[in-house]
Amino acid sequence: MKTDAVRGHLDGLLLAVLEPGPLHGYAIIAAVQNRSGGVLELRTGTIYPALNRLERVGLLSSSWESAGERRRRCYELTEEGRRTLAGERTAWDEFTTAIGSVLNPSTPPGLPT
Amino acid sequence: MNAAGRQADPIAEYEAALTAVLHGPGGEKARMIEELWDGLADTAEAHVDEGESYERAARLAVREFGTVEEIAPVCQRELTIAQARHTARTVILIAPFLVACWYLARTSGLPGTAWQLPRTAQSLAVHLAAVAIAAALLAASTLAATGTLARRLPTPRRLPLVVAWAGTTTSVTMAVATLALAVAAALATDWPLLALAGALSAASHAVVASSARASRRCARLAVA
Repeated sequence: MKTDAVRGHLDGLLLAVLEPGPLHGYAIIAAVQNRSGGVLELRTGTIYPALNRLERVGLLSSSWESAGERRRRCYELTEEGRRTLAGERTAWDEFTTAIGSVLNPSTPPGLPT
Repeated sequence: MNAAGRQADPIAEYEAALTAVLHGPGGEKARMIEELWDGLADTAEAHVDEGESYERAARLAVREFGTVEEIAPVCQRELTIAQARHTARTVILIAPFLVACWYLARTSGLPGTAWQLPRTAQSLAVHLAAVAIAAALLAASTLAATGTLARRLPTPRRLPLVVAWAGTTTSVTMAVATLALAVAAALATDWPLLALAGALSAASHAVVASSARASRRCARLAVA
């Protein structure tokens, strides 16, 4: 799936892979690619400013951790981030159900099959 | 790695190119560049672990990252907002001090004392204090609009430019305040307090002018 198609859902993807626990930038990118089976194509450089933005609006918090001679910035979900992720999931379920009903009209929602 | 080897390293070249084109608060920019470099180094390491040579792994990492032309505008947008928030915080801190300076200049020559601030200057003081209060309110709104409110509302693209000019206006009012306090200190009997306020006003002018200048530069880059 091309980068443009992913862009509108990037925030939800980043919040979702951080749900289990804190990760640094590269691990977040790897988690998105692993969970999608390599289907989602990301310009990986755009992930870092997106993480900065999510931290600025209070959905993530970050801390610098030492990894050998290097420092790594690790991100984790805030409580508001968890609430936003739940909202993203609900909105996505409603969206895919609606689109699925249009694409596959044989089983319209709410009608007995 | 020697200088020639580092120069030829695609990751070092990428880092240098991004460092050259990005502008923003020093600490924020340094952290962003460090984090991007860290991500590139991790990506290259992963390719080396898969059996690639370092040179090829570094080139692959840079390709996956996106070109500097693709990545820089996204990074600059964040740095521009960071600079706007920095200027907004400076204005919020300085505006009450500016109002206090004008109050001091205005009341330094109360009836019965040897010297009084001219009536025109008193009127100017009131107007410039109002400008400072308006700038502080705009700055506070900016912090909210680029902070928690940005979860639900898109941040207006020109907001950083508006904040930059609000900061510039505040810096001009600080310069006028400095001049007025210097004149008042020269003419009034209670000059030490006025002179101290004038010196602090001059220092505040320098701080807010510098931040506003950086904001204008960042805002022009982000809007362009």
